[in-house]
Amino acid sequence: MPESLLAVLDALPYLLEGSFITLVVVLGAMGFGFCLAVPLAVAQVYGPRWLRPLVALYVWFFRGIPLLVFLFLFYFGLCTALDINLSAFTVAVVVLGLISAAYQSQIFRGAIMSLPEGQLKAARALGMSDAKAILFIILPQALRLSIPGWSNEYSIILKDSAVTYALGVAEIMARTHFVATRTYQHMPLYAAAGAIFLVLTWLGIRGLRYLEEKVRIPGYSHHEF
Amino acid sequence: MRKPWHLAAVAVLCFFLLSPADAAEKVYINGIDANFPPFAYVDKKGVPDGFDIKALDWIAKDQGFKVKHQPQDWDSIVPSLLARKIDIVASGMSITDARKKQVNFSTPYWKIKQVLVAKKDARLTVEQALAAGNRIGVQRGTTEAKWIDENLIRKKGLKFQLVQYDSAPMAIEDVLNGRIAAAAMDDAPAMDAVSKKKAVKILGTFGMPDELFGYAVRKEDTAFLNRINAGLTKLMKTPYWKELVKTYINKK
Repeated sequence: MPESLLAVLDALPYLLEGSFITLVVVLGAMGFGFCLAVPLAVAQVYGPRWLRPLVALYVWFFRGIPLLVFLFLFYFGLCTALDINLSAFTVAVVVLGLISAAYQSQIFRGAIMSLPEGQLKAARALGMSDAKAILFIILPQALRLSIPGWSNEYSIILKDSAVTYALGVAEIMARTHFVATRTYQHMPLYAAAGAIFLVLTWLGIRGLRYLEEKVRIPGYSHHEF
Repeated sequence: MRKPWHLAAVAVLCFFLLSPADAAEKVYINGIDANFPPFAYVDKKGVPDGFDIKALDWIAKDQGFKVKHQPQDWDSIVPSLLARKIDIVASGMSITDARKKQVNFSTPYWKIKQVLVAKKDARLTVEQALAAGNRIGVQRGTTEAKWIDENLIRKKGLKFQLVQYDSAPMAIEDVLNGRIAAAAMDDAPAMDAVSKKKAVKILGTFGMPDELFGYAVRKEDTAFLNRINAGLTKLMKTPYWKELVKTYINKK
């Protein structure tokens, strides 16, 4: 067997362990981002007039600064200034989550705005409060509609997570780097890392596609599977 | 009415995020540049290994503290130390005046020369390698990167171009690719590269003064530094030290 292939096979268990860390970072960030993004989106569409520009400000801020800058600002700047000692892993999840919340909120906002306006009025006519109507009429539909956009967001965060290596998170990219510098098999190892990312993207997108089908309201969706 | 299923998922995720990561006894964290063989790297099983790792393990055992080695980007190793993300840097760090302003160093334990590494078949002298128009690789954030920029480029006015890399092995990779004429680095990793990959050779030194390696700790951690020094002094008198030098650095 060629030396390059041996090096990859040798490193594979170690790299796969790294992909577990990558996945936890990505899912954690998406979950955290989701928690923030739903209220943000609702606030931007239905919120009081003074709140809407604040949400827009948040979105602009977190979409406008590079991930690496945020990671450093947070890890070395904010954590030290506030005297809280968060691990690199936690900072990676929080920062990716804050940024993802900005993007996700726009996915959800788009989905909410795509719903017919009459629905909210109808709910009001039936005596539902606005909060209730948003929670039980608007959001269940909007979130379903958001899944395709959301799978896009997944694949973006997945790849962004490689940058967290700069803080010392032992994810796929960091590990590939370590093995490559030890064995000097850069090409085959980076190719292997690329392949692992491809598989992870495929798995995630498949999973979300399954979810999309699973939660589809029969006879209601725009397109049948 | 449908139950908002996603709320449950969100609750689970939030709980997971808020749960504390570590709440055990004090373990000293050694921040290492895992791309710096033979002083610090990660072995086949993913366990940190190398000269400094083994040496610090011995010191920790001798002085009765626990140590964990954590790979870290070299660029930000001093900020990490100051921000208390790590407690010590035992990873082939050169003792310099600039660094001494920010951190305290242990007694020196290794002397290092800076060399240029080129392709094995390259017919080059050090002077030719540093000629105008050539590209010379170096690891970002290292003393050699700083020294070359300040002395060879600014003071002496040499016209080669300095290319900065993430790690010395990456620079070697580009030497092999032919993108750069030579790469400047510490002699120990250079010898490591030569022993692992036969297509490169050491051209020689390029005028940078020898440097000493030491372990870096925060200024206020004087008690910890004393323990490190006590352990290090003891270790350097043992046969195990010679064995470490032989296993990791002078392999031949």
